[in-house]
Amino acid sequence: MDYLLNKKQEGLQKIARMTLEKECPESVVREAREGDEGYSPELWKKIAKLGWLGLAFPEQYGGSGRGLLDLAVLYEEMGRAVCPSPHLSTVVLSGLTILNAGSERQKKAFLPKIASGELIVSLALSEPKSAWDGNSMDPSGITIKAVPDGKTYIINGTKLLVYDAHVADFILCVARTKAGGKNGDGITLFLIDAKSPGIECTPLKTTAYDKPCEVVFKKVKVPQASIIGKVDKGWAPLAKVLQIGAVMVCAQMVGSSQKALELAVDHAKTRIQFDMPIGVHQYVQGHCVDVLWYSETSRWLTYQAAWRLSEGMPCDMEVAMAKAWTNEAHEKACWHAHQVLAGVGYTSQKGAMSLYSMKGKSLQHYLGETGYCLEKVAEEMEKWPTPEEPRGKPLGHWGTPIEDQTPAWEPWRKLREGKKTW
Amino acid sequence: MEFGFTKEQEKLRQKIRNFFLKELPEDFGRSGDMSEEAQSFMRDFQKKTAAAGYLTSGWKKEYGGMGLGHLEQGIVDEEVGYAGIGWPSQLGLHLAAPAVFLFGTEEQKKKFIPALARGEQIWFEAFTEPEAGSDESNQQTWAVQEGDFFILNGQKTFISGGYKPDFLYTLARTEDSVPKHRGISLFLVPADLPGISYRPLPTIGGGVQNDIFFKNAKVHKEYLLGEKNRGFYHAMDTFEFERTGTANSGRARRALEEFVEFCKEEKRNGKALMADPEVRKRLAQMAIETEIWRLICWKAVWWFGNREKLGPMHYDLSGMCTKRFSTTHAERMSEILGALGQIREGSKWAKLSGAVERRWRAARSLHAGGTIEIYKYAIARRGLGLPRIPAKFNTQIGQALREPKK
Repeated sequence: MDYLLNKKQEGLQKIARMTLEKECPESVVREAREGDEGYSPELWKKIAKLGWLGLAFPEQYGGSGRGLLDLAVLYEEMGRAVCPSPHLSTVVLSGLTILNAGSERQKKAFLPKIASGELIVSLALSEPKSAWDGNSMDPSGITIKAVPDGKTYIINGTKLLVYDAHVADFILCVARTKAGGKNGDGITLFLIDAKSPGIECTPLKTTAYDKPCEVVFKKVKVPQASIIGKVDKGWAPLAKVLQIGAVMVCAQMVGSSQKALELAVDHAKTRIQFDMPIGVHQYVQGHCVDVLWYSETSRWLTYQAAWRLSEGMPCDMEVAMAKAWTNEAHEKACWHAHQVLAGVGYTSQKGAMSLYSMKGKSLQHYLGETGYCLEKVAEEMEKWPTPEEPRGKPLGHWGTPIEDQTPAWEPWRKLREGKKTW
Repeated sequence: MEFGFTKEQEKLRQKIRNFFLKELPEDFGRSGDMSEEAQSFMRDFQKKTAAAGYLTSGWKKEYGGMGLGHLEQGIVDEEVGYAGIGWPSQLGLHLAAPAVFLFGTEEQKKKFIPALARGEQIWFEAFTEPEAGSDESNQQTWAVQEGDFFILNGQKTFISGGYKPDFLYTLARTEDSVPKHRGISLFLVPADLPGISYRPLPTIGGGVQNDIFFKNAKVHKEYLLGEKNRGFYHAMDTFEFERTGTANSGRARRALEEFVEFCKEEKRNGKALMADPEVRKRLAQMAIETEIWRLICWKAVWWFGNREKLGPMHYDLSGMCTKRFSTTHAERMSEILGALGQIREGSKWAKLSGAVERRWRAARSLHAGGTIEIYKYAIARRGLGLPRIPAKFNTQIGQALREPKK
């Protein structure tokens, strides 16, 4: 057991915080929100140079072979800076899927380019129906079809809330090649050139302005060679990556609520009203402690899940718990921080706080809605074994009405007999 | 970062769990039994556990412990909670004994500790007074020194314990001419001295609390712990040791496991409770909260074990977990049981032999150790560094507030 980061992770955290404070201040975040791209290409280049894109890739594919816990540390820092970048789509959701399921040729072709920042890849997972009923993380949510046609496949259908599709060079499309079987059988992954004819991409305006897209596939022809992994067997490798993605989203929210805490506490210490800092008032202190409470609780659930992932341990329960709790915890942490910051927190041109709470809206719905995750937790609970009962000789008091049990100690007896005991 | 246990630690956990499974009666924990038989069983069981070494496993060997590390101690505590045990001498073991270790003289250690370590004695923590609740330094009990003796006069209240105590770990004022924090001393008072009397206060939670009255109780100076007039600071230092949090999270985990089992078996409208989406949602929330509880408690244990390296623990959320989640769990379980959840043990209609009803009441009598606001206040000031109005103004402000409006 160890609740601290190791030296290497601490180093990464320090560099990431310093870099993002310098290169990704509020102004960059706001520019990215207002621009067409939704991210800052300059920042993206700098991030690539620092090696953050290949962090979790093995060295032979241009990466540095660090673990998933290290990646979570980086994500916490990116969440702290509301860093606008297609990192999650490109590196985690697409890159790690290619790493898990792709052929050697595909890995060599794509991973080094992803690591160097030349390629942006987007994962097209959720669909209008699954985004509506909360099943985007479930194989049953995949309905758009890829039909074989000679040596190619034809894809038809709509994907919704696809992050970074409008700037992507490739789209990793999760499609159905066979009617639904057990365990996601019949799902195939296609890595499609984003400029293929028939792909229509419309960025949507959302709370956080992070531009998730509606991507319409109209008779898009895809060569067989673009399939990642085996036909019909795409779900298993993807599911593992979706878990990683969910934990990274949690880590982002952890960083974000940590920053919310700092903003709130700083304001409480420096804002003077009634001739004293408002932090002297216990209501205000209570709000600050609540922000701390939500950020700390989600932090340890998240890091436990990240640790289990990076150790390759079973972690369905832990990931679902982390995502379910962090979704709500981040929202509440931001709410409490807003109570402290008041007007400074929500004016959209001033006050960084609104950036965090608005980004939270998109994170909480991405890669695992609260309800879906709670159901996953309940499924895991059904597998709990029956707790063992003690085996000693029974005392035989079970069932005696509590009023008839006189505690053994003298003052109690006297009290029962109606005597004064002092 | 690492959240697992070593093989040896897992082995230790299994050993303790088996010990409790073997030794505890079949019907243990199925009622809030306080009868004579139940109490004498618990006293014996405390001794038996001590003989097996688990009662004071974290203490040094020369004082009757096993010399285990902090994490191992945390595991023992967790299993004690998981088995549903509350030691008769809970606060003596976890709060008073560390004070003797820290501030007692070698003779005091030799005199007091062995009997406690053998599980033979029961110590109460008697700090709270009618006028000194959250404001612990406002002690009104007086200990006036006369030669080798201190004469104690005053009243303590809300002192937890349903057993006959052997010692009272208590605070009393020994000096008047200094600020109120600096005139208090720490005592370990023999509980059967002439002049000490008790009045039990039944609580809604089924536990027992007491009023304790000191009337010219003559306490020899060998029962003074630590430096005279430094008692308040000594007491604050030992609160850090009350790190029994893992017992609480272990207890909650066990309760939840039993409840899940119940939900799998019990049917409503022909369907298992477990198949009801509303029930599933509540169960999942409880599982998450229990996991948070466990992680936060373990963080406190781990941090405490490394505090020399890391500095003092600035804030500790484990107490808040206990106060918040005990209540939410009882409420959620009660909601699932519906109207039948209010029927007390002993009736054939009571579900889970009234366990949830009992837990609901217990969760409402949880203020020992400080209210949730006091926890928040401490975290805000010591953890987050938020400002406070300096104590020297308290009296003025208090007076101004008490004066009637003109």
